Amino acid sequence: MTTEQNAIRPNELQLLLHRREPFVLLDVRNQEDFERWRIETHPDVQVRNIPYFQFVENPDQAVAQLPSDKLVVAVCAKGGSSQWVVQEILRPRGFRAVNLNGGMLAWAQYYQARELPESPPHLRIYQFDRVARGCLHYVVVYGPNHKHAIVIDPPRHTEPILDLVQHNQVVITHIIDTHAHADHISGGVALSRATSAPYYLHPYDGIHPLDVLPATIPYEMLKDGMRFDLAGAKLQVLHIPGHTLGNTALLLEDSGRTYLFSGDSIFLRSIARPDLGGHAETWTPLHYRSIFGRLLELPDETIVLPAHYSRSQEARKDGLFTATLQELKQRNADLQPRSESQFREYILNSLPDFPHQYVDIKRVNLGLLSAHEEFLDELELGKNVCALATAYKG
Amino acid sequence: MAEEKVVADRELDVRGAQCPLPIIRARQEINQLSVGQILKVLATDPGSVNDFKGWARTARNIELVKQEEIPEPGNKRLFVHYIKRIA
Repeated sequence: MTTEQNAIRPNELQLLLHRREPFVLLDVRNQEDFERWRIETHPDVQVRNIPYFQFVENPDQAVAQLPSDKLVVAVCAKGGSSQWVVQEILRPRGFRAVNLNGGMLAWAQYYQARELPESPPHLRIYQFDRVARGCLHYVVVYGPNHKHAIVIDPPRHTEPILDLVQHNQVVITHIIDTHAHADHISGGVALSRATSAPYYLHPYDGIHPLDVLPATIPYEMLKDGMRFDLAGAKLQVLHIPGHTLGNTALLLEDSGRTYLFSGDSIFLRSIARPDLGGHAETWTPLHYRSIFGRLLELPDETIVLPAHYSRSQEARKDGLFTATLQELKQRNADLQPRSESQFREYILNSLPDFPHQYVDIKRVNLGLLSAHEEFLDELELGKNVCALATAYKG
Repeated sequence: MAEEKVVADRELDVRGAQCPLPIIRARQEINQLSVGQILKVLATDPGSVNDFKGWARTARNIELVKQEEIPEPGNKRLFVHYIKRIA
């Protein structure tokens, strides 16, 4: 990176973080917003929260809190205040400072796609990582000439998916949401309109669990045992209620290998919470039977591809968030053997705060609430909290 | 607090402006007020609510008297901040 540069884009920030380069992350948002959600860093990054209004009030005092010998990356909500701090305050004082273009909003919309190296010969599995939020979605390219694709759990911003399929001249044939999401706005319906591919959801998730109102969006129904033939590879639907009533996972089998798109059921270091529908007491036993009676009974060598992670350290060295079922059984505390009553007690004592905006997000996803982009951005602020509390500790 | 009527001595309209402009402009206006006078700021940026709170808490001579959120047609909102110069 050159010091002449005034600004960096989210992918350049991600590269700085990935290379573990030392720098100062200067977050100029107010303290409340900073504490609610900030960019996850590693110990070599010095993080400072100095709100921009302190630079307005007393620039010299604010500047004195920054080391002058390191690169400063300034961040705010949308990029305006941090740009002002960089251009009007820091650079004139000789700091090597750059602005994160578009701020946290752009950071929240940044996706990094990685191909799974263990893809079997007939398939290409791409994991898309929404870095800021810890959300993962997938594109599986299949067929004799790799010309077809299914999309699993697409987010609101569908451009990265459309870029990938256009670049590779691929046709999307199926779009599947493993469940009705509460933590992010689904791109399923929009992608279906853009590509004419059918959008699938389990019908139990076509009813809002708190409003008890049916979805107004068009969808095809998933059901347990349903199979999609992907030119020889088989994709099978597993109905695994618990996180939601219509929760599913997708089992992909090809050339003797098995992949589990586990959605929000089992994650790498935790499991999904069963309370976001407002029925933790009654859904926890279903969750137990789905996880212990069904998912953990799959072959140990099954490659698990989850829809979330809680911390970036969960990634492998190559950046992918995946592990075999056997590895999860060994290192995932939430998957340790428990009786149903032990599990119930464990779960009900491990629930993080209920994010109030999740009720509206699900309404949007089911077509029960329409909202403008700015409101959708606000609903999606922060990291996902779909896992048990244990995932966010330490 | 919301039912209290606050009489402003000066009004600043920063509707449509993004941060940092509302606070930079409000600081300029405050500097022209006498101690005890109140500035009313009209903003449309939702981020201004926490920013004005944080600014008033850390700045040397101002106090946040009141904040209002007023729904506007077309799903829009207007945020009104009343700032008093106290020194």
